Amino acid sequence: MLVVQIKPKEEILPLISSKRIFILECLGCRDVHYPVEAAEEFIGDLKEEVVERASLDYLCHREFAQEYIRAYASQVEKAEVVLVFSCGVGAQVVSSLLEDRTVYTGCDTLYLNGFQGLTAKEYNCEQCGECYLNYTGGICPVALCSKHLLNGPCGGSQQGKCEVDPDIPCVWQQIVDRLVRLGRLDTLERLGAPKNWNVSPAS
Amino acid sequence: MQVALMDYTKFRLKPDPEIREVFGQANRMFVLSCGKCYKRFEEEGEEQYAHLVEVLGDESNKTAGNVRIDFLCNEFLSKKRISSLDFSGCESIGVISCGLGVQFVARLFERTPVYALADSVPHSLNYPTEVGYHGISLEEEKCAACGQCYLNLTGGICPITNCAKGLLNGPCGGATNGKCEVNSSVDCAWVRIHERLKKRGEQLSSECVRPRDHSRPSWKLRSDLSLQNQMLRGEGFYGGIHPLEKKEATADKKIQNFPEPRVAVIFLCQHAGRRAKPLVEVGERVLVGQKVGEADGFVSASIHSSISGKVISMEERPYPAAPRNELAIAIENDGKNEFDPGIQPREDFEELPKETLLEIIKESGIVGLGGAMFPTHVKFSPPKAVDTLLVNGCECEPYLNTDNRLMIEHPEAILAGIRIVRKILGVERVFVGVEENKPEAIAALSRLAAKSPWVQLVCLKTKYPQGAERALIKRVVDREVPPPPKGLPFDVGVIVSNVGTLFAIYEAVAKGLPLFQRVITVSGEGLTRPGNYLVRIGTPIKDIIEYCSAGSVDGVLQQCDVKMGGQIMGIPQASLDSAVVKGTTGLTVLRKYPVAVSEERDCIKCGRCAEVCPMQLYPLFYGYYGKKGDLGKAIEHKVEECVECGCCEYICAAKIALLSFIRQEKAYARSANKA
Amino acid sequence: MEAVVGEPIGGVMKTKSNLERVLETGQFAVTGELGPPQSADPEVIRRKARILKGYVDAVNVTDGQTAVVRMASWAACLIGKEEGLDHVVQMTCRDRNRIALQMDVLGIAALGINNMLCLTGDHQKFGDHPAAKGVYDVDSIQLIKIVKDMRDERKLQCGEEMAVAPRLFIGAAENPFADPFEFRVPRLAKKVAAGADFIQTQIVYNVDKFTEWMKGVRERGLHQRVKILAGVAPIKSMGAARYMKTRVPGMDVPDGVIERLQGVTKEQVSREGIKLCVDIINQVREIEGVAGIHLMAIEWEEIVPEIVEAAGLMPRPRFDT
Repeated sequence: MLVVQIKPKEEILPLISSKRIFILECLGCRDVHYPVEAAEEFIGDLKEEVVERASLDYLCHREFAQEYIRAYASQVEKAEVVLVFSCGVGAQVVSSLLEDRTVYTGCDTLYLNGFQGLTAKEYNCEQCGECYLNYTGGICPVALCSKHLLNGPCGGSQQGKCEVDPDIPCVWQQIVDRLVRLGRLDTLERLGAPKNWNVSPAS
Repeated sequence: MQVALMDYTKFRLKPDPEIREVFGQANRMFVLSCGKCYKRFEEEGEEQYAHLVEVLGDESNKTAGNVRIDFLCNEFLSKKRISSLDFSGCESIGVISCGLGVQFVARLFERTPVYALADSVPHSLNYPTEVGYHGISLEEEKCAACGQCYLNLTGGICPITNCAKGLLNGPCGGATNGKCEVNSSVDCAWVRIHERLKKRGEQLSSECVRPRDHSRPSWKLRSDLSLQNQMLRGEGFYGGIHPLEKKEATADKKIQNFPEPRVAVIFLCQHAGRRAKPLVEVGERVLVGQKVGEADGFVSASIHSSISGKVISMEERPYPAAPRNELAIAIENDGKNEFDPGIQPREDFEELPKETLLEIIKESGIVGLGGAMFPTHVKFSPPKAVDTLLVNGCECEPYLNTDNRLMIEHPEAILAGIRIVRKILGVERVFVGVEENKPEAIAALSRLAAKSPWVQLVCLKTKYPQGAERALIKRVVDREVPPPPKGLPFDVGVIVSNVGTLFAIYEAVAKGLPLFQRVITVSGEGLTRPGNYLVRIGTPIKDIIEYCSAGSVDGVLQQCDVKMGGQIMGIPQASLDSAVVKGTTGLTVLRKYPVAVSEERDCIKCGRCAEVCPMQLYPLFYGYYGKKGDLGKAIEHKVEECVECGCCEYICAAKIALLSFIRQEKAYARSANKA
Repeated sequence: MEAVVGEPIGGVMKTKSNLERVLETGQFAVTGELGPPQSADPEVIRRKARILKGYVDAVNVTDGQTAVVRMASWAACLIGKEEGLDHVVQMTCRDRNRIALQMDVLGIAALGINNMLCLTGDHQKFGDHPAAKGVYDVDSIQLIKIVKDMRDERKLQCGEEMAVAPRLFIGAAENPFADPFEFRVPRLAKKVAAGADFIQTQIVYNVDKFTEWMKGVRERGLHQRVKILAGVAPIKSMGAARYMKTRVPGMDVPDGVIERLQGVTKEQVSREGIKLCVDIINQVREIEGVAGIHLMAIEWEEIVPEIVEAAGLMPRPRFDT
């Protein structure tokens, strides 16, 4: 699931300096996460004229974005810059519907594990196309190992934590523990061949 | 309107040889199939399992069975479903889903081997240079979630998800005729970027775009946000949503008396059950608090006049709580505000026996003021023994502050009302549930509750619909009321009552005042005088909107929705010709949203409706079968258990008119049950 | 130094590696290590190589250790080779995909470097370029197999045949002290199955734990299929000791070691650290299955001769052919 953070001020202010701004804010994923305070602060501190701040939802949905732009046509017209607070999908959709206007995004997007619904997960799927889970007791090293090793662990695994950050669990420790519980540690002695990282959707 | 929708199906069955390899190691395997997500919802199929059986051929007896679980990675609902299955005789579990589903099931079964029977499907041009994530839509655009968005440099076209090499200073030298060297059916992203910038009178930067920082976004940031999200979603009860509360406009506004109406329109049915029988005729003079309608049968309630004056008509009028007309008495105000002489305060009301108290409640025409308008004397005569009174001070709807202000300004009256009801019900324990967003109310009630050890104030995390009975009971006393249509709170020994109702009970018992007025919140957009008003029952809605708006209200319904109630469950008014009834908690005026929900759109299987439903249902089926006209199937999917809280429609990413379908299906179910 | 002539035990040498020769003739091997400079200066390599010559059977050159940019290992090996020592080039999977790795293998073999150590690589976050993308197209075990197949099957990873195979003596690292402990021996087995010829372990300060690991190794007969060189290192200062104990993932520095160093004056710590190293060498030599030591005196290469002498490991074998 995609969530956003407000971009650092230094990045956006030069782009919108002294321009009339129309703000399109997407709250469709608020129940996953939306930086309410940071958005308020940023918008509140703007010295530029804000023609309107339209708080809508699901800007990533082309049909809806089209309707919103139509409903706010006069504000779009009046503004010199359209500033979108949305994930990269919404920002791209809006930008494609306003091809000849200046459209900027005020957000950086990041990903929380999980595809459907609203609740983030502790595990993840990288959609790699060659599911490896049968060799790891059902825990994915491609998604969860910092080095996406198929024959882990590396030498940096310490007390169940990853060398990259002591808060990151070492997924290979989890895999070993799971296989020990299942009495199947021998599964890991299989030599995993190098992965095909370019599985195509069609194959 | 059919829009072209991408298919973001996340998995496909593993190649046949791998399937055989898996079954080679496994013996009796029970198969769980995920119902898929992010594709147009076309049918509830199980074609993948069928193919599996085909592939296994003679070995197909190794499969012990197959169950389809929709949104398998919805942990809460799927766990429930899986724990009801019978796995006896099975040595392993096979899962046909993307990697999320397999990992989830593997976590559930620590001692049983769990096998993946499917591979995930990549949807990126250039995995694993970048995994491109789609939005909550089935559009083509994807986002790499790089945490350092480049769109402001590229005219709004993402170079990472669209360029096969993920270049930031493209193009490379390989594009031919504007097509990418890697995949000639795909446009070169950088050619597109160049064209877009040209349209805007901009250019590609002449400076080198710095290399991407792959250490961002950091694991810690993602982990912190995930944990925050999980806590937010898990608060209090499964499901629910967090709409913007929008209560600031009226939270601090003291309750004011709204001017008496010139004409009061008093409906004879302002309650669940049979309409009251009129006791007056056109031409008669009536007084404030005079009974003008007699309860007809046990589940019914009396109606009282809210002003003094002459009855000028008795006719059908648009009813505010449902799209139909109802019989109403219209009274022309004589300006004297003369009260019925029978209305007398009771000094000794704390001494009165419970039968007397119950009779007063009945005679005073009191019904549930939280909006449901159920006759209170009936509710307090439950057919089963109850041990708990749960007072609902949640007011979880956006915009409303009615209960909030009552708790702040009249906590003693509410507590007196609680004492009265406690005596009637003969319960020991009383809980008062209030959402955290009402700190003043909590403070006021705490001070009083501190002196009464039998009442416990419970502060609840703000989440809609925490104030819904079942969610409230689950959260406060951890009991599960059996689902509708049959299940009711007394089935688990609980009675729930709204603070507004308790206040009205106090007014009736202590001051002798029947129910002829109530507090409502008038709020929304474009109002000059939003506030909390004590209005007489029967005050025309038009009067109130006019009073609270700037200027004429003639065109208001063209631009705005006027709802009786709050933003989410409020009943949209087709005209301003109706009037305040006992269940009117507020009037919320909202500019029409640019996109209205529709019965025409297709579900995109985003799974959000199932995540927000506090009754733990799968609302997508109600939309799907509603659109197909197969209402019976909706009943199979338990539509009768829906409480119409509106969370599914609120969150629906395809903006499907789910409530409309649900109401049609429930009506169909009711008529089918009667037959 | 006397020339020591012996016959390889297995019979056929896989490569021209001096290290292989020493091991195959059943002698206790000594390898060293040198860190390349964070610059384009070849003199640093030459100076260090000259110090080590004659005291080690081969010298490793680290490759982007802790993800810090230094001269590439293969280039430093080439420079050092001119001084007359056998070199072990180290390759990590962090920085190169399978295409670049195989290209480098061919180049390294063509340059006459005889040994390669295949490593996963410390995560980029530890180094001076934490924003870099980590490649990890293949992992260390897959790399071992790739190099082995290139050498013995004359095939690239994709199956294509090549005219002249790279003859490299293949090494891998193993850390007896890392978690999960119960998987450390099976992991070694995987590396052996993938084709590792020799193993250099993480620095041994906890001899007991190392002994336990070796027991597991022997139980599976792995010591007969791969040559295990125990990692050893002198400690230069208390600061260094504490740093290794607390800040290096997978390093096990027992309290006893710290106490031993604390038992002497500050000026004497490095002396004691050298004595400690020699003691550990003597201990691990007694463990069945240990075929040699890998002496890592990083940025203290000048101490290597003294340690090798004190441990009674001189003279190093020489082969005239």
